[in-house]
Amino acid sequence: MTEEKEDDTENGEEQTASANATLIEPPSTLQEKVGPPQPGGVDLEALERAEAVIANLSDQYLDWVREDLKKMVEAFEQLKASGGGDQEKIKKIFQISHDVKGQGGSFGYDLMTTVGNSLCRLIENKTALSPSHLDVVKLHIDTLNVIIKQDIQGDGGDMGKKLLTGLTMAADKVGGA
Amino acid sequence: MSGYCLESLNFLIIDDNKHMRALVKTILYSLGCKNVLEAGDGADALKELEHSAPDIIICDWHMSPLDGLDFVRLVRTGTDSSNPFVPILMLTGHTESRRVMEARDAGVSEFLAKPISAASLYRRIKAIIENPRPFIKYKGYFGPDRRRRQIPGYPNDRRTAEAVEIIDIQGGSGRHELTHDEVSELLNGDVGR
Repeated sequence: MTEEKEDDTENGEEQTASANATLIEPPSTLQEKVGPPQPGGVDLEALERAEAVIANLSDQYLDWVREDLKKMVEAFEQLKASGGGDQEKIKKIFQISHDVKGQGGSFGYDLMTTVGNSLCRLIENKTALSPSHLDVVKLHIDTLNVIIKQDIQGDGGDMGKKLLTGLTMAADKVGGA
Repeated sequence: MSGYCLESLNFLIIDDNKHMRALVKTILYSLGCKNVLEAGDGADALKELEHSAPDIIICDWHMSPLDGLDFVRLVRTGTDSSNPFVPILMLTGHTESRRVMEARDAGVSEFLAKPISAASLYRRIKAIIENPRPFIKYKGYFGPDRRRRQIPGYPNDRRTAEAVEIIDIQGGSGRHELTHDEVSELLNGDVGR
């Protein structure tokens, strides 16, 4: 490959790195708008306050996730009734578990994120689920419900480990990982 | 410790999950932000961009009908895009290397894996403020420059055509899950932290 000529424009904003590539400086930067770090800006105290506000959202999170789990159970019942071949219901379960996975850890329910992730992996891009796959999906949904009913926060300690071990074994058997 | 005062920045949150929007909005307000708009999907967000000028967009990946990457591509390369340079922070549950590369190649500025915290969100905003990158237009790609920063004298030195090659992750099927540092390396073209 040959070296390319540089071709600075008068204001130096645009340079040609190659015949096909153009480098462009954005018109302004956020640093100019925000200025330097300053007292009163985001500091450790502000971060702690923000984390405390998130913690206060936990009650709302529990209401949200209970609603989500209800919808997940409904979609699963419909999927099971269809013999596992209803792709729309599989997508619905995936979408809800994706949301559950994304939110759980933010509110201190790390196990919800882990189990939600496992369920996502199990059914992602699947167009139909076999009876054994459906059983493992049910196991995941039941586990999510247990976590919320028993208010298992964080990684759940020994109970959390037992729940995850069981799920992993079941998922591995159907090649869900 | 002094940090950035974020009250002058305008944010746009795009996520089809209203609870996630509420969480991100709450965190931003707690960090001192004053101007936070929301959109429930990419199409609404594009309409919002017609009459507002966010400084940072925080966008979920998994949305429909327009997913996060399609939205990013439209902002970067759409003929009607009001600000193709706007920093876009992609919020997602996906951290596999091939996904991060896909987001990078769509023109994402930064990546934040869920679940999020106030600290993790602020770190990404801080990175966007402190590490502005020039944009590059190359073979259909328009977005933050993805080349390695360690090229001597960058960006003023003479560059060879090799310098604009896309940085590829080494080996693997692309399913390897990346840590936050590895994601940052991939997006910013940093080598050997």
